[in-house]
Amino acid sequence: MLADDMACNARNKYPAQVFNNENHKLNLYGDNVEVDYHGYEVTVENFLRVLTGRHEAAVPRSKRLLSDEGSHILLYMTGHGGDEFLKFQDSEELQSHDLADAVKQMKEKHRFKELLIMVDTCQAATLFSQLHSPGVLAIGSSMKGENSYSHHLDSDVGVSVVDRFTFYTLAFFEKLNMYDNASLSSLFTSYNPTLLMSTTYYRTDLYQRKLEEVSVTNFFGSVMETIHTDSAYRTTHSRKTSETKMPLQESVKHDERRQLINSNVQDQTSDTKIEDKQCPFTRRWNAFQDKLEKIERIDSLVNYGFIIMFPLLLIIMFPLLLISTWLLPTFVS
Amino acid sequence: MAILLSRRSNLLAVVVLLLCQLFLYATVSSSGSVLKQGGGEEFSEELLLKPFPDRKVLAHFHFQSRAPHSSSHGRHHHLFPKAIAQLVKKFRVKEMELSFTQGRWRYEQWGGFDPLSSNNAKPPGVELWAVFDVPQSLVDVYWRNLTHTLSGLFCASINFLESSTTYSAPELTFKPSFGNLRYGTLPREAVCTENLTPWLKLLPCRDKAGLSALMDRPSIYRGFYHSQRLRLTSSESGSDEVDSGIGLDQTLTVVLQPSSWRTGKTYSVETNIQPSWSISSIFGRNIPGKCVIAKSSNVYLQLDNGLVGELKNLERENAKYVANTFESEGFQSNHAFKISVTPDKVFEEVDNLHGKSTSVIYGFSVEKYSDSQPFDLGLTWKIPVVWSCQQAPLHASRFLMGSGNERGAIAISLEPTESSEGLPTSHIIDGRCELRVDIFQVVPWYIKVYFHTLQVFVDKQPRAMADVVDKIRVSPSKDKVSPGVMEMILKLPCGSKSAAFSLEFDKGFLHIDEYPPDANQGFDIPSALISFPSFNARMNFSEDEFLNNSPILSKFQETSPVLSYTEVLLIPLTTPDFSMPYNVITITCTVFALYFGSLLNVLRRRVDEEERILRSRAGHKAGWISQLLSRLSAKLRGRPQEQPTSSLPHSFISFRLVLKILLVASIAVTWQYYFG
Repeated sequence: MLADDMACNARNKYPAQVFNNENHKLNLYGDNVEVDYHGYEVTVENFLRVLTGRHEAAVPRSKRLLSDEGSHILLYMTGHGGDEFLKFQDSEELQSHDLADAVKQMKEKHRFKELLIMVDTCQAATLFSQLHSPGVLAIGSSMKGENSYSHHLDSDVGVSVVDRFTFYTLAFFEKLNMYDNASLSSLFTSYNPTLLMSTTYYRTDLYQRKLEEVSVTNFFGSVMETIHTDSAYRTTHSRKTSETKMPLQESVKHDERRQLINSNVQDQTSDTKIEDKQCPFTRRWNAFQDKLEKIERIDSLVNYGFIIMFPLLLIIMFPLLLISTWLLPTFVS
Repeated sequence: MAILLSRRSNLLAVVVLLLCQLFLYATVSSSGSVLKQGGGEEFSEELLLKPFPDRKVLAHFHFQSRAPHSSSHGRHHHLFPKAIAQLVKKFRVKEMELSFTQGRWRYEQWGGFDPLSSNNAKPPGVELWAVFDVPQSLVDVYWRNLTHTLSGLFCASINFLESSTTYSAPELTFKPSFGNLRYGTLPREAVCTENLTPWLKLLPCRDKAGLSALMDRPSIYRGFYHSQRLRLTSSESGSDEVDSGIGLDQTLTVVLQPSSWRTGKTYSVETNIQPSWSISSIFGRNIPGKCVIAKSSNVYLQLDNGLVGELKNLERENAKYVANTFESEGFQSNHAFKISVTPDKVFEEVDNLHGKSTSVIYGFSVEKYSDSQPFDLGLTWKIPVVWSCQQAPLHASRFLMGSGNERGAIAISLEPTESSEGLPTSHIIDGRCELRVDIFQVVPWYIKVYFHTLQVFVDKQPRAMADVVDKIRVSPSKDKVSPGVMEMILKLPCGSKSAAFSLEFDKGFLHIDEYPPDANQGFDIPSALISFPSFNARMNFSEDEFLNNSPILSKFQETSPVLSYTEVLLIPLTTPDFSMPYNVITITCTVFALYFGSLLNVLRRRVDEEERILRSRAGHKAGWISQLLSRLSAKLRGRPQEQPTSSLPHSFISFRLVLKILLVASIAVTWQYYFG
């Protein structure tokens, strides 16, 4: 949900580009960005409708949060906020108890398994103070009475391009490579209050699992550039910077003065533990399927199969025919 | 006997089995071959480049996709986007056009008469019109569902067009559709990469190969005008047309300014020369070969008739360049410009009634280029050339009159352009020479237009409406239900130079929750559509088989009226004080609190109770400090001293209380002293 059109605004010196750093190295707006709610559609009502799934019948699927009881949802909110509220479009507010009620509805309707709420506004921790549904993890960039600040000003573009909390979150992810198994606790404890100029606060009382055991890919994940390799998955720590570039690209749009609400949709849980408990039949079937997939020209194989089937059938049927017509009657009669 | 029968039945069973096998194999092989054929779907891509007189370049991409009718070929598509096919089928769309535009088409510099301007100059924001194949009573329902689906498909707020205050049903100015046409526009919709992404995903090659690989987003959105358009036509299989089925035309029109720093040349001395440009300089990329699935992939460079005429004039003036004439040697080296690639075909317009010169289109085929040898077309100017594009017969503009928050007037003015001097006599009707102008205007309901105040001025003289207006169809607005629609067909006398209309309106009031968040910016009146049906925006070319297969050139040859859009008007409406709800709530709550508070106090509290409590407390006064104090006070006042009954806890409490007070006081003093 983007309330303002920043990239193609007439005042943007770099059209169709949104940067998060003064060095303009990375264009967040990319080539394939899709925004479901923008402009006047970003309202508290639409936000709550997306969360709870109570849309009118005509609303298309791409504008719905199609989550189920196994989904992990990342909800990232930034903009101006205060004690128990978040501002929408400079004319409305989202209250903390409204958010808590929406999350409670979501839990009752089994619309998520785990939910991570990240809030980057002033007094952010108050926004999720009313939550009481299990399975929710929340982190805010500042506590009650504190402001959240922007990181640096881009004098070329003319505005501050990233907030401190978001900047240090991105810095944490940029240090990771594909093979690190960083946990959420390492992310949450990586924030330095002196650098942030505010104290981050996170609540884990509603979340059953221990943060040290939950990896960051539980909620954060995106594929920026797929590179096709023929070699197998290597365990050496080779640094592939292109693959770990900006895992938060879809969820991060920055400007201190602008409104940004982005409910980013989920990663389905992948239960790899099931494989160990498979019976030998399924294992063999899977191996057979893998072999089949490797065959390139499957339709020529099928055609040849049909051709081969004729003589095979004749060869098989012939002795049966013989048995049924000549031999059996002799036995019977 | 039994043996014979069993033998025969066995043989029969075997024969039947073999036949089944044969049949199965035959069907499998035949379906395999049909799949290889592709089911008759076609895709072709083209790009047209055209220099403009004001140092800008137009790039017009046209992607055409055709799919035969689904009843003969099932629901499987291999080129045609399935989302569009499903949309056409579900909403019974016969024809639809959706455009996303940012910027204003400058008719004075970029022309208004040629088919490119007529078809591709669109109003800013989103414009959608659709014709449905359903009974008239259901059209509104289908329109609503279509707007929602399109908003999900293209990441735009097209769903705002669902409310009846935003769309209208024109009849006179569009082609006859028996009441099944709906038209809606959102002037303030922002267009950005998120609208281009799903549009590109409808193409078979996306933006990875072919001409669409040129679309560098920052270059496109840096342009002065960009408009992406989607046009759908669907015809029934029962009709005997050659192209029945679904046709999808996607066009992207961008007007860019080639920047001199990119070409690396300085123009300090010859600043009159148009900037030289090439595909790589305006887009930053080359064409890496064609999209493999495309039937044809071509690039065109158009020099419009104004430019060609100017070049021929220059040649005649410089007689020494006779050997290198534009017509004879033309392509690569010329005295005026140079093209970096030799064109494969040259098309010249024929039968141009509207001027002496004809435009020329150079065609380049992208088939022989590939990733290792990309296609890059460049145009270098050698001498300064100044020309003007052909414009529509009358230049339409619209503006507001009046001031204040109560009333105003909308005025449409039609000014003469240079091309109106040589008007052809082809539209003589009934012995009188007339110029037919169609005007279509939709005004939102909160701008309450009074149609009886419509005034017409021809050549700055007021005229009676019956002289000029041939037909007028008006649908007055209803508050919060429908907008005001006006369709007029005018017949202006040939000799008239200019015309103007004015229409007065009153500003209405909106409910507080109907105001957008930025209400103080104002409200938009969408563009009006002015068309000149008696003029044809078409270019004729000499008969060529190639032309029928080229989407751009065959579109140029189609007969269509000359269209032009006016500006969008911004009207400031009175805005309420948005803090009033908060104020009202606070005042009401205060009043209620005071009223109920005092009422409860009055009803519940007993007046003597406090005195009684005080007296009873006084009766329990003990402790030597309090005794001292009471004795002192008794002596001072000369009253009889009450006998206090001493009880230890009370004295303890009061002693502790005094100690506490002393402690707090000392802490406060030290705090103030040290930290104050």
